[in-house]
Amino acid sequence: MSAPAKLSDVEPRFFTRAQWASFIVPTLVLALLLPLLNALLPADSLLRPSDFTLNLYGKYATYAVLALGVDLLWGYLGILSLGQALFFSLGGYAFGMHLLLMIGKDGQYKSDLPDYMVFLGYKALPAHWEPFYSFPFALAAVLLVPALLAFVFGWLAFRSRIKGVYLSILTQALTYAAALLFFRNDFGFGGNNGFTDFKRVLGADLNSPATRRALYIASIALLAAVFLLYRWLTRAKFGHLMQAIRDGENRVLFSGYATARYKLFVFVLVAAITGLAGALYVPQVGIINPSEMTAEKSIEAVVWVAVGGRGTLIGPIIGAIFVNALKSWATREAPERWLYILGGLFIVVVLFLPGGIVSLPTKFRTFLAKLRRPPSGPTAS
Amino acid sequence: MLRTLSIFLFLLAAAALSAAPDASRARLLAALVAPADQQVAAVRALVGLEDAALVPTLTAWRAAELYLVTTGTASPVPALLAPLPGDADGRLQALAVADGLPVKDPATGQPLTFAPKELKALDTTAPLRRAIRDVLEVAGVADPSPAVRRESIERLGQSRKADHLPLLQARLAIEFSPAVRSALQDAIAFIQLADPAVEVRLQAITDLAAAHSLAAAARFKEQIALPADAPGAASPVELAALKTAVKTIEDHWSRVNFFGNLFRGLSAGSVLLLIALGLAITFGLMGVINMAHGELMVVGAYATFVVQNLFAAAFGPGSLAFNFYFLAALPVAFAAAALVGLVIERGVIQFLYKRPLESLLATWGVSLALQQTFRLVFGPANVQINAPAWLQGGTALYDVAFAYNRLFVIGFAVLVVFGVWLVLNRTPLGLLVRAVMQNRQMASCIGVKTTRVNMLTFAFGSGLAGLAGACLSQLGNVGPGMGQLHIIDAFMVVVSGGVGNVLGSVAASLGIGVTDQLLQPVLGAVMGKILVLFAIILFLQWRPGGLFPTRSRSLD
Repeated sequence: MSAPAKLSDVEPRFFTRAQWASFIVPTLVLALLLPLLNALLPADSLLRPSDFTLNLYGKYATYAVLALGVDLLWGYLGILSLGQALFFSLGGYAFGMHLLLMIGKDGQYKSDLPDYMVFLGYKALPAHWEPFYSFPFALAAVLLVPALLAFVFGWLAFRSRIKGVYLSILTQALTYAAALLFFRNDFGFGGNNGFTDFKRVLGADLNSPATRRALYIASIALLAAVFLLYRWLTRAKFGHLMQAIRDGENRVLFSGYATARYKLFVFVLVAAITGLAGALYVPQVGIINPSEMTAEKSIEAVVWVAVGGRGTLIGPIIGAIFVNALKSWATREAPERWLYILGGLFIVVVLFLPGGIVSLPTKFRTFLAKLRRPPSGPTAS
Repeated sequence: MLRTLSIFLFLLAAAALSAAPDASRARLLAALVAPADQQVAAVRALVGLEDAALVPTLTAWRAAELYLVTTGTASPVPALLAPLPGDADGRLQALAVADGLPVKDPATGQPLTFAPKELKALDTTAPLRRAIRDVLEVAGVADPSPAVRRESIERLGQSRKADHLPLLQARLAIEFSPAVRSALQDAIAFIQLADPAVEVRLQAITDLAAAHSLAAAARFKEQIALPADAPGAASPVELAALKTAVKTIEDHWSRVNFFGNLFRGLSAGSVLLLIALGLAITFGLMGVINMAHGELMVVGAYATFVVQNLFAAAFGPGSLAFNFYFLAALPVAFAAAALVGLVIERGVIQFLYKRPLESLLATWGVSLALQQTFRLVFGPANVQINAPAWLQGGTALYDVAFAYNRLFVIGFAVLVVFGVWLVLNRTPLGLLVRAVMQNRQMASCIGVKTTRVNMLTFAFGSGLAGLAGACLSQLGNVGPGMGQLHIIDAFMVVVSGGVGNVLGSVAASLGIGVTDQLLQPVLGAVMGKILVLFAIILFLQWRPGGLFPTRSRSLD
């Protein structure tokens, strides 16, 4: 009943018309309709998404960007990086520095210095903080600091062909070392408590519903843009090369491609974008501290991807939302069970559902097909 | 004549020593009830008295908490008041200074009781209180406990009062404990630093330098720093002596610190080695990333805790048998962790031998579940593990402290490494293990039951983690999150040692442990750790396969 597929059907260049529709419609609903409803409808209307809901969705969107990065590296390139939470938090810290300076004299100590600096007895703002008064500089730092770290680490690691499990362990160690560093008070980034009590961004009050809506829209827009970018990357020749590196790096190497450079490029690109997501995450949750950059957080992001379905771009988004929704439900209803649920999710997905949630419909269809068409051949006598 | 006198004195001293408690107690009692005009002299004469009641009695007297209790017709008895056990009205009983027992009514034989404020405390005058203070100040020198003696002698030396010199010298003549003797010598030299005679001062400086006294070094430096015309400044000869002395002392202590750090590094490396050995087997030989390895270690630690409690319940916590609970805990910890490892292998890992990255995720899930289980079973707080007596304390060699538990860990690690080497290289199981690890399909083709070998190898590696946990329980806290603290270090050991190589793990763990400990005093604990992590990353640039890489012609 199915006609032989043409090559163009199997691998459309970018989006088919139906795919465009299924991309644009949810994006518009999320980015425009929900904020509009939130802004215009009266507070008691059933159709109005609450401020809390928007904030939550905005947070999930930044998580989804983080998960997309993990997936691009793991699902397409075969690099299981356990350091993505580090890049996420570095972006968050860079933007947090700007937000902290924007508090001005409204802090607890009514000083120009951030509260924790007053508390620790700083006399003047350290020199490397000065430029963070500028928003463009902070934005540049959000992108460049994670990218620079990724470049140095990636250059060292990929050059000496460290891969697979070893790379995972090294990224984990890197994250661990960075978290240790940030936990220290004398490292100068607020120690345990990190940065919090932000007041305004670009002159707008962070607590006003309008600012929160804007941050939400920015998060959804970022997610949509990153999705398109990664889609384009994976569909281009570059994407085939990534998958080839994943499946047999040496063969690609012997075909004359400098695989280390491709890997380094993707690693750095993903780090910068993940940093951007972290920067959007921080004003929405209102705090950034070193517990965000632990290896556990990175592994959690890997779970989102595994649960959603790696090697697809929609999977990580579904996974990030599903696991986090499950987490907020479980930590509310049965906090002591959450680790069991998360741990069990890992094991079940890895053992029984390697394709993740997105593979469920296909599995279901093949299951139905099997039911409908009983196996031919001799039946038992 | 002289000879008879010395024999007589010796007999007297012997008699005094044998009858010490009674004779000294009598002197103490006499001082308490001496006539007012002789009391100050009587109290001052108590200096150097060896009596356990001296300090409490005089302290109470000075604080106006010493009482004279009159019982019938007998002379009043000096006593301290203490709450009457099991009495709700707050009545007090009198404990006599003479024997520490309650004062009894001579008529009924029942202990006398008093209401608070019923008795009036023994009076003191200002000169008397000064005398008491002076006696108390040096009382510790004659304390029965060597540790107390040493501490109070050191304090007297620091006070640098020449009045204490005769007392200290007298004590030196009869002191037998070597540690206290050296403290006495130091204190005497310290006081002699202020002696009017230059020769005595120079001798004292030399003595203190030879004793490597840190307090003396600090004092010398102060004196060197004084301007030449200041009062108390040293003469050129003395200055030279002081500088040499400071150098001698500082050289000595920097050597001691170096060796102490080296020792701590070796023991930290041994701990790492114990943890990493199990990992080297499961990760190195089998290619499985077991993120739950840390939790298997915690299983071993909790097994030790359970065995300890069983021993305490069966034999009592202070008994001789209790001291051996740790020896019984070692095999239990091994078995418990091996069993859990077996379950993990059968339940999860056996399906993932071809997907190492995913074994990482699945075992991380296992580790989360295990952590939560520990929390539910043993509570979220750390549990209390009491080291057996033979693992407490330590010994010192040339001022370098060697804690027994650290020595034990080093010895135990050596044993375990040897055992692992034996198992892998000298037993049929080891042969099978190595065969399967080298080429699973080929081994399977010639009839090796690979699933069973995998199972046993994983259980063995897990059991080693349990042993490491049992050992760690003697060194640090045992809690549900303990596994996460060490797992990353252990992975670094296996990665930098070279995979599939026990020797590499040994070299890497000792290297990492020692480097870490040597860096810590310079950079602080966290920076040292971070530096070691970066050093490992850089090291892998140079040797991507680790110290001892497995050579292979195969390529994916």
